[in-house]
Amino acid sequence: MRARPSRQALLYLGVVLTCGVLLFPIYWLVITALSPADSLHHLPPKFWPDVPQWGIFREIIEQRPIPLWLGNSILAALGSVGISMFVSVFAGYSLSRFRLRGGPSLGLFILTAKMLPATLLVIPLFGIFRQLGLIGSLWSIILAHATLIVPFSTWMLKGYFDTIPRELEQAAMVDGCSPLGAMFRVILPVATPGLAATALYGFVLSWSDYAYARTFLTNAQTNWTANLGITTMKGEYITNWNQISAAAVLVALPIIVIYLFLERHLVGGLTAGAEK
Amino acid sequence: MNQHRTIAPSFTPRSAPARRTFGLDLARPSRRHWLGYLLLAPAVLLIALIIIYPLFVSVDMSFQNVGLVRLGAPRRPFTTINYERLITSPEFWMACWVTFKLIVVVTIACFVLGVGTGLLVNNKFRGRAIARLFVALPWAVPEIVAVVIFAWIFDSSFGLMNWFFIKLGLVNTTINWFSDPTAAFAAVAVTMVWKGYPFVSIMTLAGLQSIPEDFYNAARVDGANAWQRFINITLPCLMPVLGVTMVLTILWVFRDFSIIYVLTGGGPLRATQTLSIMTYEQAFSFFKMGYASAVGVVTLILCVIASRLMVGRSAESIY
Repeated sequence: MRARPSRQALLYLGVVLTCGVLLFPIYWLVITALSPADSLHHLPPKFWPDVPQWGIFREIIEQRPIPLWLGNSILAALGSVGISMFVSVFAGYSLSRFRLRGGPSLGLFILTAKMLPATLLVIPLFGIFRQLGLIGSLWSIILAHATLIVPFSTWMLKGYFDTIPRELEQAAMVDGCSPLGAMFRVILPVATPGLAATALYGFVLSWSDYAYARTFLTNAQTNWTANLGITTMKGEYITNWNQISAAAVLVALPIIVIYLFLERHLVGGLTAGAEK
Repeated sequence: MNQHRTIAPSFTPRSAPARRTFGLDLARPSRRHWLGYLLLAPAVLLIALIIIYPLFVSVDMSFQNVGLVRLGAPRRPFTTINYERLITSPEFWMACWVTFKLIVVVTIACFVLGVGTGLLVNNKFRGRAIARLFVALPWAVPEIVAVVIFAWIFDSSFGLMNWFFIKLGLVNTTINWFSDPTAAFAAVAVTMVWKGYPFVSIMTLAGLQSIPEDFYNAARVDGANAWQRFINITLPCLMPVLGVTMVLTILWVFRDFSIIYVLTGGGPLRATQTLSIMTYEQAFSFFKMGYASAVGVVTLILCVIASRLMVGRSAESIY
């Protein structure tokens, strides 16, 4: 279909306007971070700072233990994604390849688990972790984040395994591979993009959590995650908006980078179940 | 007999020698499904420990008059007092009403924006790959960061929104976004819509791509115009995807904690206190864990009912 030039121009205009309005809050966050503190307390607002204050990032890192917070977030994400991937690779493969008694109902239960409100689960987990002495330790949120990731990753991986033809394993087994060997040597290598996308999505889930960190880690300042740390920079009466914005940029950056590089895979995973 | 039927037929090894090559002989069909269970075991164990058991504990707690949770402590006597208190508490019904309002407002706005942007960037133009990437970018912004952005935009003294409203002549004095109940609700809704619409556009785009081009060509041959093609092909083909998306969006609003909690804390005057926030507040501000569990259990039941009602029997096939 040849599009008429005027229609094309209109389309561009529409796209640019829509993106402009919808992405403005992100732009405003970055501009706020780079503005000098006193210019934020003037109206009308400046939509471009005269001199971008790049030093703000050094300033907040000197004032607050932001590298520590980011490090804790990374540790929590690595831990919870590691545990979740370990169990859900096997479970997803099993749900995809074997017809087990109870398999479908387990699958359905896992789906229902995705509906659990974190605010409901956080209460018993608080009790359990207190009993185990885990409150204040990163292990508490590693386990809690696994409750978010496992239901999701098991289904996403099952979806990926479903797209890999069974003939691959059959061929491997005819050649003398054991079923487990076929899984490890043939299917997992083929599924690597799917595994990576699932792991990254799990990373995003863990990185974005606030409820669990707020509940389990509030009294353990050295174990604060980035999200929890940021919220403490928001004061009751006075907030240094340029500082908190700069910190927020640092927290958002890893996820945005992941998104930009893996959008296709993430979208594939998000929509995997929905299209059938 | 039955065992053989439970195994995927395509898994049956074709050649007898292949069976003999490994020690445990897992390839034999009768053993094969044990492998399936074995692979499932770690996940089942983990889910049992960190999801099912805590869920059981909270249901159990909702039937006891407990403050702080003590697992080792002897069980308090069974009581339904938490649920009775719940039903008679105006706070609970208020939270239900706030949750309902928020769901309606946020879901409708997310769909208008999400389906709109999805349709827009589905057009053919140069650079649409990048446009697609950017149109859904807020999806990648963590909720807490979105809260920081909008808390600043809605700041009552130097926020952009007040300046903008006054500039447009909509209001004369600055609005105190976080101390006026209606304004606070609006601020929460705007933040949630901004964070929630990209998911709808992502799903819409995926749905649009699964519609075969042939459908449109056939309609063109029959002389259907663009609007007719949209109504008769695009919309019906999108419906299943949009149905699931709607359920997921509603569930997200139902359960969301961080946006509301950090932005308004459920206030002012509980105007933004949803069931999720109420659960958390009761548990960790007032330490009424039994009562909070009851609220949480009711929330969960409402979630399940809502999603069942909307997707009905097709739920299983869609997932």
